Amino acid sequence: MSDTLLRLEGVAKTYPHTVKSGQRMRAFWQILTTGRYTGGTSIVRDINFEIRPGQSMGIIGANGAGKSTLLKVITGVLAPSGGRITRQGTTAALLELGAGFDPEYTGLENLHMNAAFLGLSRQRIAEKLDDILAFADIGKSIHDPVKHYSSGMVVRLGFAVVASVRPDLLITDEVLAVGDESFQKKCIRWIENYLEQGGTLLMVSHNMYQVQKLCQQALWLEGGRARAQGDVFDVTQSYLAWHERRSAEDASRSQGHASASLYGVDALRIENSGAGEPQIAMGDDLNVSFRLRSPDGRCPVILMGIIRADGTPVYGVANDHDEVVLTSLSDGKYRGGISFPALSLLPGGYVVRGHAMDPEGLRVHDTAEVSFTVTGRSRELGLVRLEHRWRQG
Amino acid sequence: MSSYWWSLLPDLTRREIRNRLINSSSGWLWLIVTPLMLLAVYGFVFGVIFRARVPEGLEVPFVAWLAVALWPWLAFSESLLKGSQSILQHSALISKVAMPRELLVLSSQSAVFVLHLIGYAVVLVAIQLLGGDLTWYGLPYVLLVMATLYIFALGLGLMLSALQVFVRDLEQILPTLIMFWFFMTPILYAPQLLPEGMARWLRYNPMAWWMEEIRAGLFLGKWLPDLTFLIILAGALLTLWLGARLFRRLSPNFEDFL
Repeated sequence: MSDTLLRLEGVAKTYPHTVKSGQRMRAFWQILTTGRYTGGTSIVRDINFEIRPGQSMGIIGANGAGKSTLLKVITGVLAPSGGRITRQGTTAALLELGAGFDPEYTGLENLHMNAAFLGLSRQRIAEKLDDILAFADIGKSIHDPVKHYSSGMVVRLGFAVVASVRPDLLITDEVLAVGDESFQKKCIRWIENYLEQGGTLLMVSHNMYQVQKLCQQALWLEGGRARAQGDVFDVTQSYLAWHERRSAEDASRSQGHASASLYGVDALRIENSGAGEPQIAMGDDLNVSFRLRSPDGRCPVILMGIIRADGTPVYGVANDHDEVVLTSLSDGKYRGGISFPALSLLPGGYVVRGHAMDPEGLRVHDTAEVSFTVTGRSRELGLVRLEHRWRQG
Repeated sequence: MSSYWWSLLPDLTRREIRNRLINSSSGWLWLIVTPLMLLAVYGFVFGVIFRARVPEGLEVPFVAWLAVALWPWLAFSESLLKGSQSILQHSALISKVAMPRELLVLSSQSAVFVLHLIGYAVVLVAIQLLGGDLTWYGLPYVLLVMATLYIFALGLGLMLSALQVFVRDLEQILPTLIMFWFFMTPILYAPQLLPEGMARWLRYNPMAWWMEEIRAGLFLGKWLPDLTFLIILAGALLTLWLGARLFRRLSPNFEDFL
């Protein structure tokens, strides 16, 4: 089977302004006369992707990036304001908490109704009832109204119903995070088994490890747009790098910076990088070039450092440690570079920093930095790959 | 709406009915008792105090004459109220599950009709046992008329439920409007009692047509559908068509306004 399960073309969603009754009435009138409303707050814009059977996708992004809204549009709960969605095969969705339960009814009644909404006939529900109850494992509470359930119990029941349906495409929205440890494991095991048997998953998650484990593709949403999409490792790594950088920026903003004065860094760049943020595959060479200035004709010392994007120092070295002399240009400028061959940094976001110091190498006068991303497929942990050798016995 | 979704309508209706019944300790009883108390109040106030009379030529007690029209009206008005609230009431479901939202309106209205039809059956039997002289051979025609009333109510219910999502004030106004409609319809009084100038306007009140037909079936033995029936049937179908159109237009945007 090679046709697509789901295709999105230029999908957009705008929420109307509904706070004031005047705005409500205007939107209402527009829908009545033209079928759609203008204005409003744009939540997602211009989303394009397709999912083929077996090609699971993770949707990642910061809070408020539009992930849940996109899922609602995909499942059909919300009508898209623009673009086209094509679905094929059976789809089941587990959206947020509640999973479409009516709080007034008992768990059992909701189970029946929910299974029916997912397309399970009466007889099939009766056949699978014991399985569903065993999977949910909430005991006698099944006869209580859902409004008295804990959030974990709601998710248990919701997932159990979805699991019994075994749709072609399963859509989940960060629901697994609610269950307890053992239930999460049960769900992951079920999903893995489901994927092995040819199922396809579309999930929203903040757990990159889970996304990498379960999905082949990823879509990174930022401010309602696709910032990156494609291979799950590439996308999740640049997403994590972006997060590390953001928290580092927050930290440095509170510290303040010494002003560039006498000795300074005029330029610092990573060679062989095109437009946009430099990307270096793990194991490739990292080549950095820089230009310094000096007011008094004496060559400054440069201290080069590599810092992980969240601010953790990895390595630092100055040219006077290695007794390297920089090339002197005219009018007090100096030029040089440094190479790190066969980079052993693990995939993630990093920063190269160049500090211009006085010729004695005592005080830092100016700092410049360039961030870059190390790409690669690796589940190793930490900062760098250390030489290692396993022994068997 | 695909046939699969239609097949859920009975299930949803059953669920609505059960929900009505389990929310009070003796649900079944109240379904009969509440309308009976209403009948007693109206019967006393209008039959005893105001001395309202049945139309000339009919030999039936006022209470029986009232009861025959009161239950259909209750089914109609209550189904409008319940139906109009159904979308807001099930907003939790609507925001999580992709389903045809019509189902929620149709099922809540159907539940009201089913419950009141049961009550109606009990009341008709009671009238007969207490010596009221119903023309039973008109009953099939009355059922047909009730079916068109159901269609008419569904059409209005779809309209009102969709409008209510956008115009919340409707929830406050609707009960009053329905009460107004109740008194404008010849249920407590015979249409012949109206002053000449007002009687002319009665034909613009659709419910007056339905009440007339129901009473004609049960008291005058009307059993053959005639032009009048075709008119109310056409009116009901037209209302349903309009209601469904409005609902389909507005329903994709419900979630944005809930």
